[in-house]
Amino acid sequence: MKIRGTVAAALASAGILLVGWQTGTQVNGISTVASSTTATGTTGAAGTGSAGTGSSGTAGSSGSSSSTGSSSSSGSIGSSGSSAAGTYKGNTVQTRFGPVQVQITVASGKITDITALQLTNTDGKSIQISNRAAPLLRSKVLAAQSANVQTVSGATITSDAYLTSLQAAIDAANL
Amino acid sequence: MQRTSDPMPAATGTFVLKARTFECMGTVIGLTLPMGSPAEGQPGPDELVAATAVVERLFQDLDEIFSLYRPDSEASRLARGELKLPHASAPMREAYAEAHEWRLRTEGAFTPERPDGVLDLSGIIKGHAIREAGTSLLALGRRDWCLNAGGDVLVSGSPRPGSTEPWTAGVVDPADRRTLITGYALGGNGRHNAIATSGSAERGEHIWRAGNGAQDGGGFVQVTVAAADIVTADVLATAIVAGGAPMLNHAADNWDVAVLAIRADGSMLATPAFQPA
Amino acid sequence: MNTQLLPSSPGASSSGRPELSSATRPARGWFARQHRQRRLRTDLLTVIAWASVAAAIALWLADGGATNIASPASLFTAAGIVAGLAGMDLVLLMLLLAARIPFIDRTIGHDRALAFHGKLGKPSLYLLLAHGVLLAIGYGMAEGLDPVSESVNLWVEVPDMWLAFVSMALFIAVVVTSLVAVRRRFPYEFWYVVHLLTYAAVATSIPHQFSVGGLFAAGTWQRWYWVAICIYTGTALAYFRILEPVLATVRHQLTVARVETVAPGVVNIVMRGRKLDQLAETGGRFFIWRFLAPGMWWHPHPFSLSAEPVFNGPDGQGTLRVTVRSLGDGSAQLLRLSKGTKVALEGPYGLLSTAARTRNKVVMIGAGIGITPLRALLETTPFAPGGATVLLRGRTEQELYLGNEIFDLCQARGVRLFHLTGPRAHGQPTWLNEDSVRSGYSLTSYVPDIKDADVYVCGPAAWAANVMADAGKAGVPDDQIHHERFDW
Repeated sequence: MKIRGTVAAALASAGILLVGWQTGTQVNGISTVASSTTATGTTGAAGTGSAGTGSSGTAGSSGSSSSTGSSSSSGSIGSSGSSAAGTYKGNTVQTRFGPVQVQITVASGKITDITALQLTNTDGKSIQISNRAAPLLRSKVLAAQSANVQTVSGATITSDAYLTSLQAAIDAANL
Repeated sequence: MQRTSDPMPAATGTFVLKARTFECMGTVIGLTLPMGSPAEGQPGPDELVAATAVVERLFQDLDEIFSLYRPDSEASRLARGELKLPHASAPMREAYAEAHEWRLRTEGAFTPERPDGVLDLSGIIKGHAIREAGTSLLALGRRDWCLNAGGDVLVSGSPRPGSTEPWTAGVVDPADRRTLITGYALGGNGRHNAIATSGSAERGEHIWRAGNGAQDGGGFVQVTVAAADIVTADVLATAIVAGGAPMLNHAADNWDVAVLAIRADGSMLATPAFQPA
Repeated sequence: MNTQLLPSSPGASSSGRPELSSATRPARGWFARQHRQRRLRTDLLTVIAWASVAAAIALWLADGGATNIASPASLFTAAGIVAGLAGMDLVLLMLLLAARIPFIDRTIGHDRALAFHGKLGKPSLYLLLAHGVLLAIGYGMAEGLDPVSESVNLWVEVPDMWLAFVSMALFIAVVVTSLVAVRRRFPYEFWYVVHLLTYAAVATSIPHQFSVGGLFAAGTWQRWYWVAICIYTGTALAYFRILEPVLATVRHQLTVARVETVAPGVVNIVMRGRKLDQLAETGGRFFIWRFLAPGMWWHPHPFSLSAEPVFNGPDGQGTLRVTVRSLGDGSAQLLRLSKGTKVALEGPYGLLSTAARTRNKVVMIGAGIGITPLRALLETTPFAPGGATVLLRGRTEQELYLGNEIFDLCQARGVRLFHLTGPRAHGQPTWLNEDSVRSGYSLTSYVPDIKDADVYVCGPAAWAANVMADAGKAGVPDDQIHHERFDW
């Protein structure tokens, strides 16, 4: 009698765990595809989002920033190349403040939109208390153009690199 | 009724930003001041020259002590073992003590020693110099200025004296250094007066990997930290490049800072202050 | 007549047995169907218990939990999450086992339910401790902090986490005091109050599960499942432990009718009430009584009915009877209960009833005050004349409480009755009296065919354990042994 119950219980438990495992790996299977696409998409977006043209507005006179417009942005998103259209969800990353998930929308092989589905808990509670960093999408960053800044922060530049830097252009304009 | 002595015109008057640069510590340092007409009591070009001279002097003095590029500097003598720390100068010992405190507070992500054991305070000394320069400028009575030393920025006041308008610092895109990813408001009424950016690409000798920076998708190629003071911003930016996402979380949890971190694949992590509203 | 009253030596009656057993035993047992159903229910409960733990872990697996393990830090974190899920599930199972749900009570009985409840105490505490420690390590590693700083961090910074820490402290307090209480034999009231803390511990643990646990973020089906099992447990507790007892108290309107002295320090408390026909066949099962008199109303007493309910008026009016020995403290006051005192009741609980029967034959073995529930069972449980044996154990004849009533019942229903009186045998763990041991008697000397009988055991825990060990040695399968703990 005990044996029958134990065997039945073990079988039921194993079945439940198996279903859970199966569901879990399926979730992940989709995400591997989607997240790799996301990576390509972001690079593409990086080019589009950057504001090369703006700098020529102010600092154009200095001449040092002449190459502005031609940043690598042109390379659009063609590399993602998948013919599939639709919406894909990236894998959910568990943080201790809740799940963070990215959704991408693909139309005719191009990523048309990237949205964060859940940035920490939807009730916003953890956002209020947390200064934690969350994924930030290129398309969503606060826009800034060199026309509107008085100074530039960048990784330490050498004296040589300074000459071709944005900061040099701004300084030159203010000399 | 309008009063003729109303100070408002001065505050709303037009200001022109004027900048002076000099070379020191292997990079270029620029001081920018807002200039009004001299009649309105705003600084003129002479004041800018004088202020820049003070700042330059201060940088040169510190560079003489701390530069590892100068074979005769105190730092080089320490590195070669000709001088022991207990016999070093007070500024050297203070800088060393401060660097060590930062090592503790960043749990080793920031360290004043190279892997070969050589003392290297260059990770902290630029921030230190900017801080000292800022103190001197305030002592000279300059309330509105922007000091940029090789991409690390400390500001005071506003580009429009008398207003609360903040300075705006652009953050360079590591993929294309001639473009900006975003901007960040400094000074004005805000809590953050300083912003510093560290990268793993250039001058990588400042940043020693703490061991776990590489996990989590290749670590960060560029980290920007805004803080109330420049040393905190500079040290934490360096530490996060070295310590990766765990250090980023540690910094966000323990200091009032805003952080924007960029990975090699272009993806970004940002604390709320850098996030769109 | 097959009733025998033998001071301690068995055997003389063997001549009467064969004819009766062959004449009255049906081809299939009377209780085969009942037994089969109870086994099915037992299996079902086992499956539910295991499956609920598996389901808790499956929630995490289904969320892709196992596929996110990529570093030592995430391994610790994952183990911590699984420990927390399993631990909380065990806590809920513990609460359900203690909720006095009739389905569980009818299937495994109150005693075994509480025994399982007790067995789960330590494992669930270890799981919850592991949950806290592993997550502190895991999060700490991910952030480059030692586990202690990380814990402080969590406490200070994450909402609801301080409650979780309070909850952990309460769980530790409950389990530790329970273990100490078992060893030191603290009074029932102490036990009761400590266990009330459990509810505080569970309640304080719930907020962080939903606000911090990423698995249960708003909008996930996992959240709904978890909410559902928490609500089910809470509702079961509220209904069966609070609402139903209140309803039963109102329904039966019990008052103390009279208190009769049975023996020195032992009384029958007879209570009058209505709708007692609903409590038919509950003789032998126990209720938790509260006598609503000043200074007594808060004190719960678990007493078994020592007689079948008697109903003799319209609307099921009649009487209930418990037989109580004064063990000091609270129960001393019971000897002086005044007539008309209102009585609250919860119950009936336990499997000391016909519902537990599996065989046609029955053996009842009781000691001291534990004899009295058997007296009630003897009244109604079915058996053929000669199909039942009763063994009563006491130091003296006076300690065979209700002995006369039992003697009469045995005579009327054809039961073999043995009185085993005298001091306990020295030097070995035995439930028998000294005389019997010296004469070389064992359980099978009194009941040769015990293998084919249900054995009801009722008496002090240590004594009952010896009886059950002997029954096991005599070849009685576990599910034919029915025991009611009767020493509180």
